[in-house]
Amino acid sequence: MFSLSYFLQQSMNGIILGCIYALLALGMTVVYGILRLINFAHGALITLGAFFMYFVFFRLGLPFVAALFLVLGFGGAMGLVLDLVAYRKLRGGPEVALLITSLGFYTFIENFTKLIVSPQPYAFKTPEFLATLYRTPYLTFRTVDVFIIFSSLLIMLAFHLFVKRTKLGIAMRATAENLEVANLMGIEVNRVISVAFVLGSAIAAFTGFLWGAKYGQISYDMGFLTGVKAFVAVVVGGVGSIPGAMLGGFVLGLAEILSIAFLPTRFAEYRDGIVFAILILVLLIRPSGIMGIREEVRV
Amino acid sequence: MKRRIPQELWFVVGGLVLFGALFVAEKTLNRYLLHILILMGIYSIATVSLNLTNGYTGLFSLGHAAFMAIGAYTSTLLTFPVPLREAYDLPRLPWFLGGPDAAWSFFPALLVGGALASCAALLIGAPVLRLRGHYLSVASLGFMVIVVTFAKTLKGITRGPMGISAIPLYTNVYWTFLWLFITMYVVWRIVNSRFGRALMALREDETAAQVLGIYPMKYKLFAFVVGAFFAGVAGGLYAHLTKAIRPFEFSFTLTFQIVVMLIVGGMGTMSGPVVGAVLLLALRYALKPLEEHLKLYGLIELVYALLLIVIMLWKPEGLVGRKRVSARGRQERKEEGEWARFSILR
Amino acid sequence: MISLLKVEKITVKYGVIPAIQELEFEVERGQIVALLGANGAGKTTTLKTIMGVLRPVRGRIFYDGKDITFLPAPQRVRLGIALVPEGRGIFNRLTVRENLLLGAYHRRDQEGILQDLEEVYRLFPRLKERENQVAGTLSGGEQQMLAIGRGLMSRPRLMLLDEPSLGLAPLVVRELYALIRRIRENGVTILLVEQSAPMAIGVADYVYVLETGVVKIAGTPQEVESLEEVKKVYLGG
Repeated sequence: MFSLSYFLQQSMNGIILGCIYALLALGMTVVYGILRLINFAHGALITLGAFFMYFVFFRLGLPFVAALFLVLGFGGAMGLVLDLVAYRKLRGGPEVALLITSLGFYTFIENFTKLIVSPQPYAFKTPEFLATLYRTPYLTFRTVDVFIIFSSLLIMLAFHLFVKRTKLGIAMRATAENLEVANLMGIEVNRVISVAFVLGSAIAAFTGFLWGAKYGQISYDMGFLTGVKAFVAVVVGGVGSIPGAMLGGFVLGLAEILSIAFLPTRFAEYRDGIVFAILILVLLIRPSGIMGIREEVRV
Repeated sequence: MKRRIPQELWFVVGGLVLFGALFVAEKTLNRYLLHILILMGIYSIATVSLNLTNGYTGLFSLGHAAFMAIGAYTSTLLTFPVPLREAYDLPRLPWFLGGPDAAWSFFPALLVGGALASCAALLIGAPVLRLRGHYLSVASLGFMVIVVTFAKTLKGITRGPMGISAIPLYTNVYWTFLWLFITMYVVWRIVNSRFGRALMALREDETAAQVLGIYPMKYKLFAFVVGAFFAGVAGGLYAHLTKAIRPFEFSFTLTFQIVVMLIVGGMGTMSGPVVGAVLLLALRYALKPLEEHLKLYGLIELVYALLLIVIMLWKPEGLVGRKRVSARGRQERKEEGEWARFSILR
Repeated sequence: MISLLKVEKITVKYGVIPAIQELEFEVERGQIVALLGANGAGKTTTLKTIMGVLRPVRGRIFYDGKDITFLPAPQRVRLGIALVPEGRGIFNRLTVRENLLLGAYHRRDQEGILQDLEEVYRLFPRLKERENQVAGTLSGGEQQMLAIGRGLMSRPRLMLLDEPSLGLAPLVVRELYALIRRIRENGVTILLVEQSAPMAIGVADYVYVLETGVVKIAGTPQEVESLEEVKKVYLGG
C-alpha cells in the first residue's frame, strides 16, 4: 500500500485540497490583515458559490465560462453586502464583536441555504469536459484536478500582481499594515476594505464550485469547517503575509491528506482533529507562522 | 456588612419561591412542557457558566460544548446501569471507580463529570488562554472539534457516532434548578468579590490589570475552569434528560446556541443569560411545529442567527444589559491598536 | 491675503478628557511655524485634527479661506495638506518606491507623479539607492527622509511635520532642518511640531508654545527665546 504511486496520488490530493485552502486563505488574510476580523462568513460563501453554480450551470444550463463569471460576480456582491450591511457598522468596536457577528452571518447563510434549497446534500456532477480520466503508471487523475491546480495558480498569480503592481493593491497592503496612516495619506480606507471583501468573497464562491466539482457533493454545511480551516492555514502560513497564506494553505492541505493517508485507516476520522491540533501547536510553538512577521508577535 | 444581607436574602427568598413554583409546575404541567422547562434550566446553567468566562472575564471561548460533552459522557458512563452495560458495549467501571458491579448515583456522577470537564479546561486553558481575543476563540473552537473527534473515535468508551442511549432518566425539575441555583450563586459570589473585580479589570484592559498586580493567567484559568465545571454539570443533566447522547449533538451548533442566548440576554449581567436561555428556548419550541410540519428545516437556527445579528448591530449589550461606558474613547483605542497589530500573544 | 491655515478655538476630546481647549493660531503662506510643547501638551492632537483624523467638538478650521472642519482626511490631502506622522509612519513592509508612490495616491497625473518622484530622488539620493528595498530596513534618518519624501509626493501646499527629529542623531537632525528650509523655499508652507525646541526655534518664522491644550506663549523666535520660562523649560536655562 505504501508505494510510490500511493504517495504521489495522495500528494496530488493534498495539493488539490491545498489549492482550495490557499485560495480561501488568500481571501481571509486580506480582510483579516486590514480589519483584524476572522470572517467566519467567508465559509458561507463557499456554500453559496457551490449552490449558485449548481443552479446556474446544471439547472439553467448556461455555458460554463459565463456561469463561472456569474459565480464570481455573485460572490463578490455577497461580500460587498456583508461589508456594507454589517461590518462597516462595527468598525472601531471590540474585535470580538466582529467575530460574533460574522458567526451570526455564517449561521444565517447556512440555515438559509438549508431552508431555501435543501437540508439534503446535492450531488454535484463534474462537468463532462472536466471528467476525463487519465491513467498513468503512477498517477490516476481527471481533468478537473488539473483544472483546479491551474485555475488556483492563475488566481494566485493574478492576485499577487494586483497586490504588487496596481495602485489599489499597494494601497491595500498599506492599509493592512497601518490603517490609520493609510487614512492619513488620503487613501480611502473604506473603499480599500470593500475591495478586499469583494475579491476575497468572489474567490471563495469560486472555491465552492471547485469543491463541488472535485468531491461531487455539496450541502448546506459544507462551508463551516472548511472556512475555519482556511483560517488555520492563514495562521500556519503566517498572519499578515499574503504569500504566507497561500503557503499555509498548501501545507495544511498536504498535512491533512498525507497524515490520514499514512496512518492506519481507523485514524481517518481524526482528520478534522488533526487540523486543529496543528493549529494549537502552531499557536503555541511558532505563533507567527511560517512567513509571519516575527517582531509583530511580541507585544 | 449591612448591605450584604439584603442581596443574599434575595437568593434565599428567590430559592424558596422558585421551588414552590417548581412544585406546582411539576404537578400541573404535562410532560412536554415540563421537558421544556427543564431544558430551560439546563441551558441556563450552560449560559450562566459561559457568562463567567466570556461576559465577566472577556475570554471569548467557543468551545463550551466540549465541556458539556465531557460532562455528559463521563456522568453517563458512571451511572449506566450494570446489567445493560454488556448489551450496549459499554465498559464496566474499573476498581478505583467502584468495580465492575457499580453504577453511581446521580449527584456524585454529575460532580465527577463537572470535575473532569474542569481538568480538561485546566489542560487546554494553560496554552490557549494566553492567546489574544479571536485566536482564543478559534483555538477553543479547535479544541471542541478535537473533543468531538475523540467522542466519535474512541468507540470503546463512547460507542462512537452511534452514541449512548438508554441513559437512566435521573434529571427532573428539582435537580436542574437546584444546580442552576448553585451555579448562579457561585458565579454571583465570584463576581461580587475582589476576585471578580480583578476578572473584570482583566476584561477591560489586561495591561492595566497587570500593573495593578493581577497575574492574568491565574485569574483567567480560574474563570475558565469554573465555567467548565458547570458546563460539565449541564452536560450531565442533559444526558440524563434526553436519555441518549451522540457526538454530533455537542458540535458547534450547540455552542452557537448558547452564545446567542448569552448575547441576546446580555453578557456580563447576572440575569441576562437566564433571560436569553428562556427566551430562545421558548422561541425554539414555538417555532418547532412550524419547522416540522411545513418541513422548513433550518428555520429555528435562522431565526437565532438573525436575532444575534440584530442584537449585535443595534443593541450589543443584550436585552438586559446596559451600555458599558468605556473610559478609553474610540479614537484612543484605534491609535494604540496599531502597536498590537499582529500580536497574537497578549 | 488670508492665512493659509487658521485654527479657530478648537476643542478636541478623547472621550470625556479634553486634549486641546479653545486652541487658536494661524499659519501664513510660505511660513515655517513651530508648535512646541512638552509631552501631552496636545501637539499631535492638533496636527491630527488639522489633517482630519480627529474631529473637534467645538471650533473651526479654515484652509485657504475654506472651512474644512468636517472634511474627511482623503479630501484634505487633495486640497494640498500632507502630514508626516510622528514616528515616521511609513509602511515598513512596502518598498521605498511603493511608499513614495502611495504619497501620490489621490493624484491621477501619471507624468506629474513620475516627475515628482525624480524630484524626491534628487532631494534624497539615498532613497534612490534603496528604491526597491523594504522600508523597514532603512535607518531612522532614512525613514524620516522617506516619510518627508512621501509627503512631498502629494504636491502639498501645507506640510505638517510631527516631531521629525525624534530619535535621530544630531548630525542627521541638522541635515533634516536644512531640508525643511529647502522645502519651504520650494513654496511649501510648513507647520512643525517639536519637543526639541532649539532647532525648531532656529528655523521658524513664528512660534507657538502649547501647554495642556492651550497656547501659552506666542511670538517670533526672538521674542520667545528671550522669555525666562522658555529658557528654563525648553532651552535648558
